[in-house]
Amino acid sequence: MDLVPGLPLADTNFVDATWILIVKSIVIFLVILMIVPILLLVERKLLGRFQQRYGPNRVGPYGLIQPLADVGKLISKQGFRPKGAVPILYELAPALTIFSAILTLAILPFGDVKDGVGFYGIDVPIGILYFFAFSSIAFYGLLLGGWASGSKYSFLGAMRAAAQLISYEIAMGLALLGVVIMAGSLSLVDIVKAQGDIWFIVPQFVGFLIFMVGGFAETNRPPFDLPEADAELVAGYGTEYGGMRFGSFMFAEYIEILIVSGIASTMFLGGWMGPGPGWLDPIWMLFKMWMLAMFFIWIRATLPRFRYDQLMSFGWKILLPLATLNVLVTAVLVVVL
Amino acid sequence: MEEIAFFFGALFALGGAIAVVAVKNPFYSVLALVVHLVFLAGLFLLLMAQFLAAALIVVYAGAVMVLYVFVAAYVGGIEEPKWDASPELRVIGPILAVALFIAISIAVLGSGLAALGTPGPEDVPSGFGTPEAVGLLMMEDFLIAFEAASLLLLIAAVAAIVLAGRRREDRKSATDDRKSATDDRKKLVKADEEINAAAAGKGEGAR
Repeated sequence: MDLVPGLPLADTNFVDATWILIVKSIVIFLVILMIVPILLLVERKLLGRFQQRYGPNRVGPYGLIQPLADVGKLISKQGFRPKGAVPILYELAPALTIFSAILTLAILPFGDVKDGVGFYGIDVPIGILYFFAFSSIAFYGLLLGGWASGSKYSFLGAMRAAAQLISYEIAMGLALLGVVIMAGSLSLVDIVKAQGDIWFIVPQFVGFLIFMVGGFAETNRPPFDLPEADAELVAGYGTEYGGMRFGSFMFAEYIEILIVSGIASTMFLGGWMGPGPGWLDPIWMLFKMWMLAMFFIWIRATLPRFRYDQLMSFGWKILLPLATLNVLVTAVLVVVL
Repeated sequence: MEEIAFFFGALFALGGAIAVVAVKNPFYSVLALVVHLVFLAGLFLLLMAQFLAAALIVVYAGAVMVLYVFVAAYVGGIEEPKWDASPELRVIGPILAVALFIAISIAVLGSGLAALGTPGPEDVPSGFGTPEAVGLLMMEDFLIAFEAASLLLLIAAVAAIVLAGRRREDRKSATDDRKSATDDRKKLVKADEEINAAAAGKGEGAR
């Protein structure tokens, strides 16, 4: 944990020069930027298969260029603001959501330090707290979007997002605490290194389940997509948004899926670890993230939406006590063994 | 770089804090408080207190403020008058404000300003402000204070549940009242119907 002299901001475990940091952030952003449209297409294709239909197959061979067509449509649409909307906050909301989503990408580790270059954006000692800090800022994007739209559907969606957040976030944090106790560190790189013998999904299976359930609520994905619940609230907080502002919400949602998958891979599935030579590490990490993202899609196609009071009582009455028990048992076992 | 970050953060933190009390709409007040907290966390980062910064955002911006926002948005739309106090408050308020200002001034003049001319601590110990360091402080050096604070919070939580439970009993008796009121109304409606029927019968008879 050496401090780099002259760095103004907090202790960030920077191991490399500034220009490498800039290159790294561009590379991470570009890789995720490329994965998101593929994920979008694969999701629509898979949903089609799950529901015994074709899915997109008109644009390009096998519908492969569909995401490009979607993005082209969204970008060329008029940036429209409804009459009842609050001017600046309405534009700020999607920006805030996508800003915090992209910033969270920085902590996902894709490999250890190799030749003086860390295969991650930053390795902060507060580690996983960074993820929770930015996910709570992302919530204000949804809230502002819903509130500033001046529509009752948007407003109800935003309020549901607030009720949902306080129901699952504590349990989600506690679920990760078991892993933190076992690894003895909050830093994601150290947590991956602590899984050399056994992946934490084995001793912390309960924690993994609770984290994934929380992850579905975190990303507003079915079965917990209550803030947008298209059957009841049109599109919830996003009802009044069109064009690329809607696109930003959408893009942020898919980045968040990748982030939650990435955090779950790091905390429970051994992160970049896998058989094969060292250069395969980032591939292994991306592969695990991808498989978990497929799990998200599978669940979306399988489960119906919960009612929001069901989610709240589930979060408070089942997940939270279970997560607390998990932490207690882990702590006692770690001390005793 | 440090100076730019500091003044940028200080500007927004102060601006947010002032906006909390200066804005009429309670929803904007809460949003201003969130802005204040986020930039305050930034200032903590400049002081190498990373854990404090993260905890501030996760706990306050992420949990406490969400509850405030929830309440403010539901009550929302009501523009609060800026200064509409009772006569007693008009006297006591400024006195307390001045007293607080004097207390803070004494503290600042006594300690904070003394360090202003110096370059500050030369070498921050390695690991300062990390979760490990803060955890050791809380669990070893200041254990009693830490436990006392958590006990206080526990008592507050239990008290809140007790108070909410009592309110619910009140509401139950209120629903009982309402039930008897609806019974009364049903009787009235029935009587009304009888009168109407009688009137209709009379009307028919007259025809």
